[in-house]
Amino acid sequence: MNFFKRAWLNVWAKKGRSVLLILVSSAILMFVLAGLLIRSAAVKATDQAKADVGATVTLSANRQAAFKKMQSSSSSTSKSSRPKMTLTPVKLSDATKISQLSNVKSTNVTSSTTVNAKSYDVVSTSTGMGSSNGGGPGGMKSSASTGDTQIDGVTATSLTTAFSNSQSKITKGRGITAADKNTHNVVIEKDLASQNDLTVGDTITVKETAGDKAKVKLKIVGIYKASSTSTSTSPMSADPANTMYTSYTMANTFKGSKYANTADSVTFNVSNPAKVSSVKQAGRQLINTSKYALSTDDASYQTVKASMANVKSFANKIVWLVAIAGTIILALIVILMIRERRFEIGVLLSLGEARWKIMAQFFTEMLMVIVVAVAIAGAGGKFVGDQLGSQLVSQSTTTQITATSSTGQPGGSGMHGGTGGPGSTGTTTSAKAVDTNLDISVSAVDLAELGGFGLAITFLSIMIASGGILRLEPKKVLIS
Amino acid sequence: MLKTEGLGYWYQDKSDPLFQDINLTFEVGQSYAILGHSGTGKTTFLSLIAGLDKPKAGDILLDDRSLKKIGLTTYRRHDVSIVFQAYNLFTYMSPLNNLLTAMAITGAEHAGDKHFALRTLNDLGINEDLATRNVQHLSGGQQQRVAIARTMACDAQLVVADEPTGNLDEDNTKEVIAQFQKIAHDRQKCVIIVTHEPDVAAQCDHQYRLENKQFTQLA
Ligand SMILES: Nc1ncnc2c1ncn2[C@@H]1O[C@H](COP(=O)(O)OP(=O)(O)OP(=O)(O)O)[C@@H](O)[C@H]1O
Ligand SMILES: [Mg+2]
Repeated sequence: MNFFKRAWLNVWAKKGRSVLLILVSSAILMFVLAGLLIRSAAVKATDQAKADVGATVTLSANRQAAFKKMQSSSSSTSKSSRPKMTLTPVKLSDATKISQLSNVKSTNVTSSTTVNAKSYDVVSTSTGMGSSNGGGPGGMKSSASTGDTQIDGVTATSLTTAFSNSQSKITKGRGITAADKNTHNVVIEKDLASQNDLTVGDTITVKETAGDKAKVKLKIVGIYKASSTSTSTSPMSADPANTMYTSYTMANTFKGSKYANTADSVTFNVSNPAKVSSVKQAGRQLINTSKYALSTDDASYQTVKASMANVKSFANKIVWLVAIAGTIILALIVILMIRERRFEIGVLLSLGEARWKIMAQFFTEMLMVIVVAVAIAGAGGKFVGDQLGSQLVSQSTTTQITATSSTGQPGGSGMHGGTGGPGSTGTTTSAKAVDTNLDISVSAVDLAELGGFGLAITFLSIMIASGGILRLEPKKVLIS
Repeated sequence: MLKTEGLGYWYQDKSDPLFQDINLTFEVGQSYAILGHSGTGKTTFLSLIAGLDKPKAGDILLDDRSLKKIGLTTYRRHDVSIVFQAYNLFTYMSPLNNLLTAMAITGAEHAGDKHFALRTLNDLGINEDLATRNVQHLSGGQQQRVAIARTMACDAQLVVADEPTGNLDEDNTKEVIAQFQKIAHDRQKCVIIVTHEPDVAAQCDHQYRLENKQFTQLA
């Protein structure tokens, strides 16, 4: 093919012009690549966010059904005493069944109650709420009086939102783990520890609020620090320093023997947030839905998803805008180039060269330029992408945080029963999402896509400019 | 071999053509000179003969076949070779590559034959050193000789030239005309040259003058 040779001779002979074209094309393609990179990074980040923020399905008593039952019983027996809403504690056997569903990553059993301090003094707050705390709205405690110390029985502290969000942190010793099941181990708050001069290894005594009000000894295995912000999340409770974490079995023991193998609620962490509803669906088959309910919380996943979708669509717009602008710019350059080379085209035509082969020559010339430009853009696009990417993420994270702080509070806590502990519910904030960074790296797929764009831009610009070749009359060359 | 039948051409005004009803015959092995004042339409006539434009009236026949039938692109590729006043070489190539390119496009017998191209150039006084440097680094006379070498390297039977000596000095003019004569006589081609210079025209086998819309043969 003779036009290949001509194209090569031309590109080589006019090095200055070729270098200039390479630079212009590189600049255009660099922006295209930046857009492509941000887009693919957004996809990756969304996947990452799925794993990071996660989503939960919570099994708890069906409050709605219980409330309806209470209403109907109160209307039928209107003269009887004040109607009572009876909430059935969650059976652990149900929870076990659900935890075996696919996509369930981990299970956290929560059982809360209150006890009274015996061997130590509780931290009193200036708000004057004193010991009148109710352990959260609608707590599922025994009907007996409430104590001054909140006990949050869990499977493991690390599985609670307060700890996984880093709102609460273990400062000494360790947290409660699954191995603490059936032990008297406890994790207490730092302020409480320092006020009573307690440390890891010490033993404290509490007094049950239910049943025979027995005295129970607890062994401190860890000390945690509750962040100050978590106070606001549970306005009903007293100072968060008076919350202790134990194994849920310990909390059940405080509540009384009939609470064995039950829980206030069980939270299942779903490995893929997109599967939350299917887990909920499958879980409903396994439980008595008139007594229990499954609720989902994937709010933070949704916010991350939404903001990443924003980044993605922005990146898409960049790609297309730059591609279109680049095509126009290159087309203009090619048009100018063709004008400047009318003479040469005329000679080719006078030799009887086919017009399409002349266009093919110009296309090949541009292709040689673009190939080099793709390589340069591939190297430089990462830099541009990095800059743009970090800019975008800091923006989107800000919007995320505002989004969660306005929606998170009322959303989460509804079905979580009496777990009024600090930050254990409600604020499923995007603490994790903040870490979500756009990981910009140039993959072979990106480069292939970039090459595709380069090819399309070249082809289109030659097509746009080809009018000049198609219309050119060879006679003009002779006469001028 | 080439015949015009009732050939006529005008640009805008049909009632005022540049020339009309032209009946001429050009034969191989002969050289023809076309003289005439500026603006009479010599270049226009040549562009029709070279297949760069279509006649407005009449027809051009190559070996009794109408150019319309042959198709202008095919005609240009195979049957005619053009030498312009402005050399019309590919400026980004060496003389050698200019020849090889033209030979490839026209599908000449010796297409791709580097040695043939170098020999052809050498015949016209372009040695290998000159033949392989950029064509823009050659003098005007040398460039015009490259253009002539190009027509010789291609197989076309018809060679047309528009003021091929317009930019050349006396010595170069003589040399170039001698080459055209060689092409006509030794290679048995038909050469048609448009020129302003009576001296150049005098060296050709036949002379025509374009005047008052008609071609008249000079004695
Ligand atoms: N594209 C065009 N449109 C309109 N008129 C044209 C065009 N090209 C040439 N002409 C006119 O046609 C006439 C003949 O032009 P042409 O170039 O054939 O003359 P010429 O004999 O070659 O002149 P010269 O000796 O100066 O080269 C001139 O008057 C010119 O102005
Ligand atoms: Mg002229």
